[in-house]
Amino acid sequence: MMSQALRRTRQGHPPSKRRHPNADQGARFTVPNEPLVYGVIGFILVLVLWEVVVDVGLAKASLLSSPTRIWTAAVADFGSGVIWPQISTSLLEWIVGFVLAIVVGIPVGLALGQVQRLEFLVEPWIYGLYATPSVALAPLLILIFGVGVEAKFAIVFLEGVITLLISTIAGSHAADRRHMEIAQSFGASRSLTFRSVTLPSSVPFIITGLRIAAGRALVGVIVAEFIAANVGLGFYISLNGTTLNSSRVMLGILLLGVFGIAVGQLIQRVERRFERWRPAIH
Amino acid sequence: MAESTLALRARGVRMEYRDRSTRERLVAIERMDLDIPHGEFVAIVGPSGCGKSTFLKIVDGLLPATDGEIETGGLGKGPDHAMVFQDSSLFPWYTVMGNVSYGLVCQGVRAKEAHERAMPLIRLVGLEGFEGKYPYQLSGGMQQRANLARALTVDPELLLMDEPFAALDAQTREIMQVELLRIWSQAQKTVIFVTHQIDEAIFLSDRVVVMSARPGRILADISIDLGRPRALDLKRTAAFTAYEDQVWKLIENQLTPVGQGSAQG
Amino acid sequence: MTAASQAMRPVRNPRDRQHHSPLVRWYRRNERLILGLVGIAGFLGFWEFGARAGLVDTFFFSQPTAIAAAAVNEVQLPRFWGDVQASVFEFLVGFLLAIVTAVPLGIIFGWYRRLSYMANPWLNLFNSLPRIALLPLLVLWVGLGVESKIAVVFLGAFFSIIIPTVQGVRTVDRRFLDVAQSFGASQGRLFRSVVAPATVPFIATGLRLGLGRALIGVVVGELYAQTTGLGVIIIKASNNIQPDRMFFAIFIFTFAGVVGVQALRRVEHYFDRWRPSLEEQP
Repeated sequence: MMSQALRRTRQGHPPSKRRHPNADQGARFTVPNEPLVYGVIGFILVLVLWEVVVDVGLAKASLLSSPTRIWTAAVADFGSGVIWPQISTSLLEWIVGFVLAIVVGIPVGLALGQVQRLEFLVEPWIYGLYATPSVALAPLLILIFGVGVEAKFAIVFLEGVITLLISTIAGSHAADRRHMEIAQSFGASRSLTFRSVTLPSSVPFIITGLRIAAGRALVGVIVAEFIAANVGLGFYISLNGTTLNSSRVMLGILLLGVFGIAVGQLIQRVERRFERWRPAIH
Repeated sequence: MAESTLALRARGVRMEYRDRSTRERLVAIERMDLDIPHGEFVAIVGPSGCGKSTFLKIVDGLLPATDGEIETGGLGKGPDHAMVFQDSSLFPWYTVMGNVSYGLVCQGVRAKEAHERAMPLIRLVGLEGFEGKYPYQLSGGMQQRANLARALTVDPELLLMDEPFAALDAQTREIMQVELLRIWSQAQKTVIFVTHQIDEAIFLSDRVVVMSARPGRILADISIDLGRPRALDLKRTAAFTAYEDQVWKLIENQLTPVGQGSAQG
Repeated sequence: MTAASQAMRPVRNPRDRQHHSPLVRWYRRNERLILGLVGIAGFLGFWEFGARAGLVDTFFFSQPTAIAAAAVNEVQLPRFWGDVQASVFEFLVGFLLAIVTAVPLGIIFGWYRRLSYMANPWLNLFNSLPRIALLPLLVLWVGLGVESKIAVVFLGAFFSIIIPTVQGVRTVDRRFLDVAQSFGASQGRLFRSVVAPATVPFIATGLRLGLGRALIGVVVGELYAQTTGLGVIIIKASNNIQPDRMFFAIFIFTFAGVVGVQALRRVEHYFDRWRPSLEEQP
């Protein structure tokens, strides 16, 4: 018992060996605004790698293109102006179809959420349509409306409206029981309860719906233009695909990506506007 | 030679960190010297943000300190120390049994044996029959019993308890205090118990260490001579309230009226 | 007597009166199911009789009995089963490939913070564009055969799975990591006991989203590169103006979507049994 030595478990400040993914406590070196800095690095790294792989001949430029080749194609097509009608047509199809989907989907969704029996009646059809990859209906709609923009409006509308209906109905049932009880306890009328509790609680769901619907609507535009069109970004991509012009295909895809990101930002703006009362996560 | 009976020896423990938004250097713990002999129950109290929980995390090795030394000494075969975390730190995806045996499994004990060894401790904390339940199926008090059993299962020399009863309602909290003393007397462990409840600290411990507001340092180290075993009616005796007054006065002086830096837990 | 009894109000729910007949009570318990079935039958009835009465244009929309007849006819053709087989194969291979690559990669990206920052711009770009837009490029690379459809199915599902997975790992509760570290858990144990269980619900969400995307991939891939598959039935039927055959093929996709989502719900439920069950949401 005399010299039961103390075990020294820790001295000074030992470097923590195990790591936490969410914390940089043992910060050896810190970069200001890490997500941005590393993001830019990652982005450029891939671009450079891509260019080098193609330029040294490890991959065929005719198949993989390369950042500089896409740039050249962009300069050519924006310079000659041939790409503008493609962009504006697709944009028009998307906007008209999507706005129609919003104008119909959100009010009808809210109404269905209020009248439970009606919701039960149409529920199987809505979920059935939701589970259907609705692009499968594209040939039918083209058959009905023809090759012009009307068929695209219809496809985009259909893609958007189902998603919006589902998320709006879910949102109109999302109110916290306690908040409903408060409204009841103060004797709020049905319409006041709807405006003061149901509607604010449904906003996050509707916004999620908008985000998903925007993406599906874009899918609708592209698929419709793949199947039957003579103008539009989908047409541009598919035409250049068949003529083996990979740089122009990539340019079209890139434009779609830029458009998708822009729409995402726009919806985030809307979200911030409606969610001012919610504490920011982080 | 006298040192051989110490379960914890802390010398000059200092903790600084840099505020993420203002990039200011803040001193959380100025300097901590603390000796705790084997078998003692020591409570650390202090205003919010005094660094008492931080100190516990440093002892447990979850946080590296800026400076200082800590030694923990084990007598037996078990590990030096184990932590009883604040509320709901049970893994929600494991049953009571899975949670309680977790420490053993981490040591490489095979699941079957770990379960066998966890059983007596589940019994000790009074959770027999609940082994197969998930945390959400338990009350707050039962969750903390499981939390305690999880730490005891690895048979640590030193039990680190970080405000374990803070989230419980008043009655459950008192029941758990009595239960903790019962379990402690059977398990024969050294305990460091961090709390902001003065009566809880006095009722449970042999010694109450009072810390200052940030930067944290030890203001007083008070022996509680109240005899054992203790029952709840002890809290209504004159000797007990005298201790309460003494500790409360020390802490009261640390609190500035409004807006003192209590935002940080 | 009168004063007192006038102030009294009944507090019993007027809806659960004892003297309702058993039939009414049975209806109340199963209202959702009954109304749903009524909705399905009503719509089919309207479709059928509307078509017979000339209210619904059978040139475009056919009618339920005709679709059923087309189905009976179709399932007797060996070619039909070849198409089914092709579609199922494309779906399974593409979706499984997406799972086995997206889940591990997502976990790695989630765990190594800086790596995830570097990958983020590319993940966001691809997630923002309709992946089916890559189809012409894929056809350019691997041809019109089954490979291009597998690739588009894979791409559709991959990004839907990897993004929630990364998010799941990144949002693991700090307390649980502390507990594991406190008990000296090894890296492997930390992963198995904390990161994996906490991430599973996110992965499950990703799988559910990915399933839909994968089905869209099958349809669009087959509409675009018309070799074999159920999508080819749709487009051929549309070209030959056979709406009955077309609807039959579309319904198969609906069925696959519903069954797939339900199956994944089951899986999700199994892995989530430690969670208090909330109301099922759509």
